[in-house]
Amino acid sequence: MKLLEYEAKTIFAAHGIPVPKGVVIKSSAELAAHILDLPAEFILKAQVDVGGRGKAGGILMADRKNGGERAIEFFEKTIKGVPVHEILAEERLAITHEYYASIAINRSSKQALILFTDSGGVDIETLVKKRPDAIRKASIPLLLNRIPSFMLRDLLGSAPKELGPVIQSLYRVFLAKDALLAEINPLVTSATGVYAADAKLIIDDNALGRQGIIQNRDLTEREREAEKYGFSYVELHGNIGVIGNGAGLTMATLDLIEYYRGHAANFLDVGGGADQERVMHAVRLVAADPSVKVIVVNLLGGITRCDDVARGIISAGIPQPVIVRLAGTNEAEGRRLLAGSGYRMLESMEQAVLAAVEAV
Amino acid sequence: MIYGDRKTGVIVTGATGKQGAFHIALMNDYARKVGGRGVVAGVSPGKAGQEVHGIPVYNSIRDALREQDASISVVFVPAAAAGDSIMEAASAGLSLVVAITEHIPVHDSMQAIAYARLNDCVVIGPNCPGLLSPGEIKLGIMPVHLSSQGNIGVISRSGTLTYEIVDQLSRAGLGQSTIVGIGGDPVIGQTFTDVLQRFSEDEQTRAVVLIGEVGGSLEEEGARSTDIPIAAYIAGTSAPPEKRMGHAGAIIEGGEGDARSKIERLRAMDVPVASRPSEIPTIIKKMI
Repeated sequence: MKLLEYEAKTIFAAHGIPVPKGVVIKSSAELAAHILDLPAEFILKAQVDVGGRGKAGGILMADRKNGGERAIEFFEKTIKGVPVHEILAEERLAITHEYYASIAINRSSKQALILFTDSGGVDIETLVKKRPDAIRKASIPLLLNRIPSFMLRDLLGSAPKELGPVIQSLYRVFLAKDALLAEINPLVTSATGVYAADAKLIIDDNALGRQGIIQNRDLTEREREAEKYGFSYVELHGNIGVIGNGAGLTMATLDLIEYYRGHAANFLDVGGGADQERVMHAVRLVAADPSVKVIVVNLLGGITRCDDVARGIISAGIPQPVIVRLAGTNEAEGRRLLAGSGYRMLESMEQAVLAAVEAV
Repeated sequence: MIYGDRKTGVIVTGATGKQGAFHIALMNDYARKVGGRGVVAGVSPGKAGQEVHGIPVYNSIRDALREQDASISVVFVPAAAAGDSIMEAASAGLSLVVAITEHIPVHDSMQAIAYARLNDCVVIGPNCPGLLSPGEIKLGIMPVHLSSQGNIGVISRSGTLTYEIVDQLSRAGLGQSTIVGIGGDPVIGQTFTDVLQRFSEDEQTRAVVLIGEVGGSLEEEGARSTDIPIAAYIAGTSAPPEKRMGHAGAIIEGGEGDARSKIERLRAMDVPVASRPSEIPTIIKKMI
């Protein structure tokens, strides 16, 4: 789950990383109440999770006189379609240089990968492609609870030593918060010191519980509903509903739909143990999307009982046609039940997908 | 077989849980069928003295090893404790751990895999269906009825998609040497590279099916590392960016790891990539 900038900054600050003075406001009245805590000139940063926020108009210069109006401006508009509910009002720094520091997970080395560059403030993915030499890297196994000094010196090169403790603290945040990514871009120097001018923190969805996070905000309402049943669900933009068991098989079903020039409305992986009730909930959930014209169910398993699955589909009682591919135990009984209720059952996933594409 | 054979003794951790107990029964059904030793002990802390389908349960792997001969553990422990279960196996001197458990926090996996490596213990998974060497040994949860004995290796990040492709191979008369599910998490123990290395040293295996998906670049790294003939299928050509497609590791991040660029890179290495799972047997037949 991605944290918002101010949430990440609160965590960074608690781990000793200096952040600019600021206040989070939810209305222009709240800004007025805090206006004297802010310097005469400050910046307003919309707290929305969108890439390229600055260019999309998510950051505005303000002062004590026009701050209230500018805040209202923000609350009334959207940034790349995302409404603004919170604004971070922050001191403006007299920046002398911008750096970049991040810690992420490297799948190939199975270690944390620390990146540092003295060309901060730019899109790091662009920099990786255009000037890979400008980026300094270090790999660190998670068995270490701190970055060894030689590694830190290597990372910094000729950059100011004051940045060292910030990167060290960033690693502590990474470990403490089960982070997939902890990033400061830009990490700035000014006349008064070193600051994390922006902050990004992504927490592992599998660690939300032990991090005390109850709800994953990255999910849409229907995705959250699906999570309650233990389904993996992703909303897409087509008209063919998809239910499968296993992430790979479900993805392959979507790919086949695309191969036959159809458009999937969703990805739904029912997971293991597809029994009658779970299948019923899955079918109802997918059918509740008004753009779904037909549903293809692709279930394959050693222990999946096809008669249970068939009962689940039938008991869902949805208006859209359902095309089923089932392989597992009690296949014949499942087939008999579905045929008796007017559902189509096909032998292979390709036949089922083709039939679904032709049905819309 | 590349990780174990019918003479290998197996310990199941999380043995008294619903999943653990259920799959002990299935693993030992298969062991009986092929004349193997199968699961010889279960481990569940605090449950020593109990039995699961006739298999003795111990409090720890060390306790089990005092009375039983085993070199592999299969982990069915719930996510919060599964990382520790991998480390327990490594610490006790087992040579292989197969971690079936899904939803392990990735930091736990990274620590457990690093610790296992220090103890010369190989980890398969987590979040995987395990492996099956038809006629020899089953470690994990793969259904056995779709497989058949032969000389095609299979490596996959997926579960059911693997069974789908194994079924198609079997129907086409292409039996399998070993089927390895390496897991759907972003950080896993054995990667395509490691398993391909084993297959290339295995006399039984003549060609390998590589089943990958969106996220990371382990498929390309694996293909680059070996000379053994490979046919690939990559799931997720229709996956949208920044969305997790069921598996924790199946996500296109920062424009990296999308299926199309993976496929392009594989084809640039002269690895044939199937557009549909059903094309795999035809491609393999041309190779061998």
